[in-house]
Amino acid sequence: MLVSVLNGFAIGFLLFVLAVGLSLVFGMMDVLNLAHGALFLGGAYVGAALAGSWDGFLAALGIAAAAGLAAGVVLSLLTEPLRRRSHLDQALLTLGIALVAGELLLIVFGDDPLSVAAPPGLDGSVVVLGVPYPTYRLALIAVGALLALVVYAVVERTTVGALVRATVADRDMVAAIGVDNRLVKVAVFAVGSLLATTAGVLGGPIYGARPGLDATVLILALVVVVIGGLGSVRGALAGSLLIGQVESVGRALLPNLASFALFGALALVLVVRPRGLFGARA
Amino acid sequence: MITDQTLTRRRLLRLFGAAATLPVVSACGSSVGGGSGAGGGGGGGGTVKVGLVIPQSGVYAALGTDMQRAWDLWLEQHGSKLGDRTVQTVVADEGETPQTGVPAVQKVLQSAQVDVVVGIVNSATALGVRDVLAEAKKLLVVSNAGAADVTGKSRTPYIWRTSFVNGQISAAMGTHLAQSGFREGVYAIAPDYAAGTEVIAAFTKAFEAGGGKVVGQAKPPFGKTSDYQPFLTGIRASGAKATFCFFSGSEAIAFVRQYAQFGLAGTIPLYGSGFLTEGSVLPQQGDAALNVQTTLHYSDQLDNPNNRKFVEAFRAKYGAAPSCFSVQTYDAGNVLDRALRTAKSLDGDALAAALGGIGTIDDSPRGLWSFDGQSPRQNLYLRKVERRGDTLVNAIVKDLGPQQSQPA
Repeated sequence: MLVSVLNGFAIGFLLFVLAVGLSLVFGMMDVLNLAHGALFLGGAYVGAALAGSWDGFLAALGIAAAAGLAAGVVLSLLTEPLRRRSHLDQALLTLGIALVAGELLLIVFGDDPLSVAAPPGLDGSVVVLGVPYPTYRLALIAVGALLALVVYAVVERTTVGALVRATVADRDMVAAIGVDNRLVKVAVFAVGSLLATTAGVLGGPIYGARPGLDATVLILALVVVVIGGLGSVRGALAGSLLIGQVESVGRALLPNLASFALFGALALVLVVRPRGLFGARA
Repeated sequence: MITDQTLTRRRLLRLFGAAATLPVVSACGSSVGGGSGAGGGGGGGGTVKVGLVIPQSGVYAALGTDMQRAWDLWLEQHGSKLGDRTVQTVVADEGETPQTGVPAVQKVLQSAQVDVVVGIVNSATALGVRDVLAEAKKLLVVSNAGAADVTGKSRTPYIWRTSFVNGQISAAMGTHLAQSGFREGVYAIAPDYAAGTEVIAAFTKAFEAGGGKVVGQAKPPFGKTSDYQPFLTGIRASGAKATFCFFSGSEAIAFVRQYAQFGLAGTIPLYGSGFLTEGSVLPQQGDAALNVQTTLHYSDQLDNPNNRKFVEAFRAKYGAAPSCFSVQTYDAGNVLDRALRTAKSLDGDALAAALGGIGTIDDSPRGLWSFDGQSPRQNLYLRKVERRGDTLVNAIVKDLGPQQSQPA
């Protein structure tokens, strides 16, 4: 049981790192970025290609972060002409990008599912309260919690964060006081994408890298965003940790109902709090 | 003069153009003629056209490589001949699913007009091409796909198999575990697809027949599970004395690694069907795979003269150890060679009749085997992952003796 809870935290923090960018971009700019899962998968493949040593792992993190940053800027620029159009247009554009990206990854890395080794030293296990638990997952919980803390502190406690939150709340008002909110959008998009590719590298030793993983994590991230409420960092954190536990403890307790539990939680939240746990009021 | 010159140059260009198109045209002509000629000549001439349908892309691509290498090696060692006919091989990509595999078989039969098809990794593909082969009256030698139905319930005289039956391998493990002190409780886990179900069913039947008790069972979603923690927690909670599993490819890597990382390897020994630690997955599992025990009809560690020769030749040519997938395809060459010596023609009926009469194959790297129905009756070996120098190998622990093709 303890192992399941710990695992829920590992999955939860990883999901948070992935989903927070999606949530902010959607909440702030009304851009539905369906290419977010492809960013994660890109990171996972970079990790798979370089994994095995600490040098490789850190290099993968660096490369993935840089690539994520660049991809975020490009995505932001691509969606810019569509900002006044409907969600459907944006969804189509980013879905198209996701498909192209998925196909390119397939050409480069092949469609053999890759399994990724944790960096040396973290590939063993340690005993937690009498039960062996993989060291890497413990490290992931720590790193994920740290990242979550940093993102939370930046968004909730700094001037830059205030600007981001203000843009989520009322874009036109922010523009009216003289801030070019296109820049805010590019920045948030870039950082969000960076976090997504980083999550891909970090998640590699658990989830591996395979075609189709992009869609799987995108759905998880969308569930997190909907449960947590659009544009809310607190919501994304709560949603991620909740889904992490549902995925882990739920699977252990009710193995046959695991997939229902995930969407059951989603449905429940939608019925009780239609705007998500921490969503802004209408 | 000047006009003359330009004219000549133009004429020259035209000549070049014509010269360039000529070979193309003639090549088209000859390939069309050649194709039909070989197809027609296959009946009584000195050639046999073989369609090697193996995965060159997708999750099974590594298996495809092992299979193609073994096929090429067999031909190289036997002067490119099956019987006394010169072999012409047409390779097609089976891909991952029947959606790609069935068209690949149709293609080699119809466009390339092959006489015999060899290969097929995916059982659904092997089942899906049944009618295609029956209609064409051509022989298929399956060199992997292990579904019982291929040569069982959906049997056709045109499909023979040189590999194994899923349940044949796991039934042997069931009997073995029941006799080795694990009767009180074994946990069984395999992906929720046809092969996984077959493997678990045959294992459970044999294990229970030996007086054993399966204390728990799980079916992780196939191809979608990479985090096995919830299942591992279930295994620990079940109080099982041992775990029996069936995974292959990246799932085998992830499962074996996590089984060790979550500390189960030290307390609940892991057993499985041989694919768990066969071929390219073993080096990636690393030390996590140590002491995992599996049953299979082959290991490159088998100590017999035919295998030593085969492994040496394979290593010399490709710089890698052969896998069971290699041996299965190598043996497809072997049985076809024997069949073609006696067959009166290359049609499916003649070849099937000839295959039925070849008796015991005495020079296979896997040891003695024979057709029992249309699948092998063969010895299964209990293997244990051990370190030899800097590589991991499936060391032979015990010969479990000859096993019938379809478990009772």
